[in-house]
Amino acid sequence: MSELLDTLMQDARVWQGHRHNKTIQPAEPTGYQALDNQLGGTGWPRGALSECLLDTPGIGELTLLVPLMQRLSLAGKTIFWLNPPHTPYAPALMRKDIDLDQVIMIHTENKGDFLWALENCLRSPVTGLVMAWPGKLAAREIRRLQLAAEAGSNVCVLFRERYYAGQNSPAALRLELEPDDQQGLKVNVVKRRGSWPGQRCSLAMAQRADLFHHEAPRVVQGPWLTPAR
Amino acid sequence: MLWLYLHFPHLLLDHIRRSNESTDALVIVEDSGQKVIQACPAARDLGINTGMRLKTALGLAPDLCIVKADQQQEARTLEDQARWLYRYAAHIVPVPPNGLLAEIGSLQRLYGGLSAVWQAVEDVLHERQLTAWPGIGHTPLAARLIARNGKGECSSDKNHILQTLGQMPLLAAEFDGRTCTRLQRLGLNTLKEVFSLPPAEMARRLSPETLVYIQKIQGSRPDPQTPWQPPHYFRQQADFVQEIEQSQGLLFPLQRILSELEKDLCWRQQDTDSLLLVLQHRHEEATRLHIRTSGPEHRAEAFLSLISLRLEQQPLQAPVISLRLIVKRFLDREAPGGQDLLGENQDLNEAWHTLMSRLQARLGHNALKQLTPQADHRPERAWSASDVRRTNRASTTTIGQPPQRPLWLLQGPQPLEEVPQAWFAGPERISGGWWDGQRVHRDYYVAQLNNGQLAWVFRDIREGWFVHGWFG
Repeated sequence: MSELLDTLMQDARVWQGHRHNKTIQPAEPTGYQALDNQLGGTGWPRGALSECLLDTPGIGELTLLVPLMQRLSLAGKTIFWLNPPHTPYAPALMRKDIDLDQVIMIHTENKGDFLWALENCLRSPVTGLVMAWPGKLAAREIRRLQLAAEAGSNVCVLFRERYYAGQNSPAALRLELEPDDQQGLKVNVVKRRGSWPGQRCSLAMAQRADLFHHEAPRVVQGPWLTPAR
Repeated sequence: MLWLYLHFPHLLLDHIRRSNESTDALVIVEDSGQKVIQACPAARDLGINTGMRLKTALGLAPDLCIVKADQQQEARTLEDQARWLYRYAAHIVPVPPNGLLAEIGSLQRLYGGLSAVWQAVEDVLHERQLTAWPGIGHTPLAARLIARNGKGECSSDKNHILQTLGQMPLLAAEFDGRTCTRLQRLGLNTLKEVFSLPPAEMARRLSPETLVYIQKIQGSRPDPQTPWQPPHYFRQQADFVQEIEQSQGLLFPLQRILSELEKDLCWRQQDTDSLLLVLQHRHEEATRLHIRTSGPEHRAEAFLSLISLRLEQQPLQAPVISLRLIVKRFLDREAPGGQDLLGENQDLNEAWHTLMSRLQARLGHNALKQLTPQADHRPERAWSASDVRRTNRASTTTIGQPPQRPLWLLQGPQPLEEVPQAWFAGPERISGGWWDGQRVHRDYYVAQLNNGQLAWVFRDIREGWFVHGWFG
């Protein structure tokens, strides 16, 4: 039995976890130390797809990308928003010190155009970040996007429904996002290329609406009726 | 003064053959469709000659391509030739229907001798696949006669020119029919014999006009020519013998026209950002395609890739019989901005324009938007979407910290359908718009919904509760 094990061990086809070599992938820090630590000290991978899986907007998913957007727009890189579900609100972006000249919104009418536009943005040297809301995508299409992402060296984040967390995907980084009870964001690493998945962390996101949970709510109780319906 | 005359014996034929890939036999027939007036070498090999009846020609070559001569088209083609010649000579005069006159006496020093001028013109003619008979003369008419008779030689010697002219038969000298007959009845056969007649006698016996004509040839009477000025636009047309059904087939002639445009733009030292492509159909109204680039551009391949993208998006409605490219908007070229070593360089700027033009060509001009904040208190009017433009404006410093706003704004307020879990901030009263009828009177709160979403909700003056944004 041990002989059999030895031959198996010597066989190069058997992958051994403890001899795992760390692959160094170019990455952009997320701007959240806790998340960077969970991602092995790197951040958003460059030249690869990342996926954020979430159920509903408004849980801090954009705030997760704000530090990156700030950095890239200051560096003169263009940030594309492809088919966003709502309008990115210009006054809020300005308040976050994001250069609006570098922000471009694209709306496409069908999926062919969407994939084509995304590919073109990814291959261009002027792009810094592409955020895309693709809706339904076939595995083949994600693969196509992954290849396009590899051709450039930009960060590409796809926002998809949490339902897809169960399906496999060629994306290099997959994060499952959920709200926590203190207006923060629970991040669960579903997949990370070149390492083990399963890390979790919780990021404080209350500052996105100037809220601090230790502070008492600042609602002025007026003489008006309580907002019950 | 020394004049160069270029005679294009079959200009229309050359023009049509340039934009067609096929090498089938091709003839141009006169307006009434009876006689062949121009025949291409392939047709001549089959035995078709100019002046032949069309029926005879069709008997010789049943699958002959036939194009009817069109005066307008001919004039336009001649103008195209004038355009390129203008790059070589300043004083040029188009002589309809198929000649160009250029003053070259003043160019000899620039080019380094008459033979260099001659060579330069011949090179261009060859490059453009044009058949032209050049002729040099000391007067415009002398140059014209020499060229039209195919006797052109590279010589500026006046005596030599007069000698060449003198040997020409009277029929070649382009007198009107009556004068020619009268001269022949006088027993004159060559121009030399006409030249030697005493002028006073000639005016008395023949007509003063004949004398004027002869003197203009000889150079003893002035023959002023009005110089031609190129129009301030670019316009080129390609006509097809066979209708083109696939948009791919348009790319070949387009490539040639676009490289022509590139040369023209280089020569003008200008760029353009919008092209108009008109596709003519036989029975339907012409298709007009506006092709815009997001920034100034002059390279043919950039235009070609945009046009091919556009044609992919928009299939042809009907077969195309001719295409025309018009550029009317010219922009002065900017000198490459001397940016710092590590800053944004020209390449990135160009890449940005290329990307935007590509996206706009395929997705439509309105698919791309940039966001700008607006000075208005009403949330739906505090931003606007504008066309994409590359600006390097200094970041505008706003006075004081702007109020806290959500990153997502909904397209329109959505009714709030549940009682929020927690209330955080508010109310912030926003009231305005009484001045333009879009009255807004709301109290805004920050609240958390049951599924964890942080929402920007408001209560309307009519006691309704709405969600207006998400703190994404």
